[in-house]
Amino acid sequence: MARVGVFVCFCGANIADYVDVPQVVEEVKRIKEVKYAVEYKYMCSDPGQGMIRDAIVQYKLTSIVVAACSPRMHEKTFRKALSDAGMNPYLLEVANIREHSSWVHQKDKKAATEKAMDLCRMAVAKSIANEQLHEISVPVTKRALVIGGGIAGIQAALDIADARIPVVLVEKSSSIGGKMAQLDETFPTLDCAQCILTPKMVDVASHPYIELIPYAEVLELQGFVGNYKVKIKKKASYVNFKTCTGCGACWQKCPVKVPNEYNMGIDKRKAIYTPFPQAVPNKPVIDAEHCTMLQKGKCGICAKVCLPGAIDYQMQDEIIEREIGAVVVATGYDMWDPTPYEEYGVGRFKDIITSLEFERMVSANGPTNGVPQRPSDGKVPKNVVFIKCVGSRDEAKGIEYCSKICCMYTTKHTILLHHKVHDSHAYVFYMDIRAAGKGYEEFVKKAQVDTGTTYLRGRVSKIYKKGDKLMVRGEDAQIGQVVEVEADLVVLATAVSAPKDNPELARLLGISYDKYGYLSEAHPKLRPVETAKAGIFLAGCTQAPKDIPETVSQASACAAKVCGLFAGDTMKKDPMVSTINNEYCSGCQNCVLVCPYGAIVTEEVPMGHGSKELRTVAKINEGVCQGCGSCVAICRSQAINLAGFTDPQIINEIVSI
Amino acid sequence: MITLGSQGKNTFLEAVNKKSGANVLECYQCGKCVSTCPVSQYMDFPPREIMQMIKLGLKNESYMANSHWFCLTCSACSGRCPREIDIPAVMEAVRHLAIDENYINDSKKVKEIRKFHEIFLSMIKRYGRNYELRMMAEFNIRTRNLFKDMHLAPKALLKGKIPLGVKPLKSAKAIKRMYEVAEKLEKNK
Repeated sequence: MARVGVFVCFCGANIADYVDVPQVVEEVKRIKEVKYAVEYKYMCSDPGQGMIRDAIVQYKLTSIVVAACSPRMHEKTFRKALSDAGMNPYLLEVANIREHSSWVHQKDKKAATEKAMDLCRMAVAKSIANEQLHEISVPVTKRALVIGGGIAGIQAALDIADARIPVVLVEKSSSIGGKMAQLDETFPTLDCAQCILTPKMVDVASHPYIELIPYAEVLELQGFVGNYKVKIKKKASYVNFKTCTGCGACWQKCPVKVPNEYNMGIDKRKAIYTPFPQAVPNKPVIDAEHCTMLQKGKCGICAKVCLPGAIDYQMQDEIIEREIGAVVVATGYDMWDPTPYEEYGVGRFKDIITSLEFERMVSANGPTNGVPQRPSDGKVPKNVVFIKCVGSRDEAKGIEYCSKICCMYTTKHTILLHHKVHDSHAYVFYMDIRAAGKGYEEFVKKAQVDTGTTYLRGRVSKIYKKGDKLMVRGEDAQIGQVVEVEADLVVLATAVSAPKDNPELARLLGISYDKYGYLSEAHPKLRPVETAKAGIFLAGCTQAPKDIPETVSQASACAAKVCGLFAGDTMKKDPMVSTINNEYCSGCQNCVLVCPYGAIVTEEVPMGHGSKELRTVAKINEGVCQGCGSCVAICRSQAINLAGFTDPQIINEIVSI
Repeated sequence: MITLGSQGKNTFLEAVNKKSGANVLECYQCGKCVSTCPVSQYMDFPPREIMQMIKLGLKNESYMANSHWFCLTCSACSGRCPREIDIPAVMEAVRHLAIDENYINDSKKVKEIRKFHEIFLSMIKRYGRNYELRMMAEFNIRTRNLFKDMHLAPKALLKGKIPLGVKPLKSAKAIKRMYEVAEKLEKNK
């Protein structure tokens, strides 16, 4: 017969103040299977656990009930106490009398006590039917997939690869580098972005443990943590990277000109192009949409001038499959399109540009060789107005959240403007200056005091043209008056927005995303790099807007998580998974449909013992099953059992109340 | 409405910074000076706003404000300023520049304050120290408000706060000489 021990916790005053704990103990003692019941101030403390260990030995207990806080808090703690006493850890039941009773029924101690008694009775009844269970071991493929080759993806890939774990790095465009490669200098130290980024890009290309797949997209992800299979579409580049020497003859001779995405469309690139001189890999690709040869079958100049004969107009998209154990998603961000700001004349006035356009202009390798120019007449601007929170913190036209980086990059822009045009003056319209970060406040002071940037507190209400100037009208709340600034150039600090492909990618990977399209972390504070799906991690702005230091930290954190996951040859997993009784399974496959994790497949088994005829039954993949119980509920022939939550256990619980 | 960006270099800011020895650009508009200042509620622009106006180069508005006349130069603001700006020095610089450039705030209150300053300085010149009774009398006569604060006089007299006579300082002559030198310097400027 079962011998149950019950341990009721005061949780300091958390439980004891609202539940009569000694009365609960007296009540459970009346159940005949309960051979020992006791209360204690803190069951989770070392003496508390000691009481459990001692009682197991002394009273020869066969199952344990701890009535305390949520099993999410201390189930593991108490399971370990059972193991230490030589008992199977899954013979533990936790009755949650804190979250489910004392905390929610603080106004009625009597009712709270009665509910706690019910919960204890149920736990005791369930524990009587508990069986010994054992952790499941799942094999691990020690290879990681990194999606996105910006600074987040680069850092994560390098850190994982440095731990001698192979990495597959997939990048959408033809070169890695991402948004950071478009930046001139970075706040708050004014390091040149290229100078600190390109060595890392080269490291990625030459790292023996990194397989770089540029110009590619993830198509499909199947499997479960430690055992994923990924399908990657490598887009046709029409250039054989193996034979191409990167000499550049092709793009010099190409007659087709299209707006250059790298320079925000300020200048033109060719139809065959490398996005920027430091591109990695430094091989051109053909933009099929604009190539005359691929569209109309005429031209072919690039093939003629290519000495190694690397141009291949017949090239097709290629599907690559890899087995991997973990995924780091680092797809970055998009710049928000300021078109809804009609009162600013976006689209009507040429001399209004976005911050990333300004960034390209002041960049030494940019379209204007590092000196900002007015798009309308090419003149060097003297008075430049920077408008912050364009799209950010604007529920009417943009997005509710703060984009976090605009305060600092605008500060940087005013300093860079002063560096490039000494007799210029920068005006910044702002609502707040959010400079929380190492060296950030000092950086703002540098702009305000040393550079002499004028900060005007207020949102700009409108911009109109006066001669060849733009009149920018806003309030300066510091003096409570409306001011108008005569500007040569207006720069909009446009918001950071989630990549538009994120929802599709999230569906493909089976992870969740928020209302803005940012991918969701498992816990906003304590699990900021994990997703709810085991083995998939997030780095950089794809999770939320963040600056480079924070992105790099998160990427390295992802690498640590991946390395931790791959530390053993197998992974341990809780044994609470479903099992199918083939005798009862009718092969209806309703369970396959309801399983949210894709953990159920079908298999063919003989009709009867020794029979050659086959029939279809469901099969659970233990590695994927998360023990949710959906299949158990849907199964009409009661062929599925969930370990730890078997029918006898549940029925016992129901009968006990 | 204030228009910015057309006036070129902010020479006003430079002049104030030079004269005061402070850097107005240091001000980050926290407003601690305003809540510290014992007379900010009487000013038409409290110190924080004056600082912003100097930053924006609003010369006329700053000169014509009564703030620098009301400022007691008690230095409570600068004592508490997180950016350690010498705000009284800035106020004094604005006051001097306004007089030099002939920007006269002719409101009644400012006129009275200017008269008060003049009478106080004449007391020092004459006695080397202040002679309260005479100062009060002269102020009331010159501002044509003979009975101003008269109701306080008996109480103050009884408490010995208003000495009936004055004993000039031994160094009164030297102080007078200082005045003469200063006046000569002012003339030769």
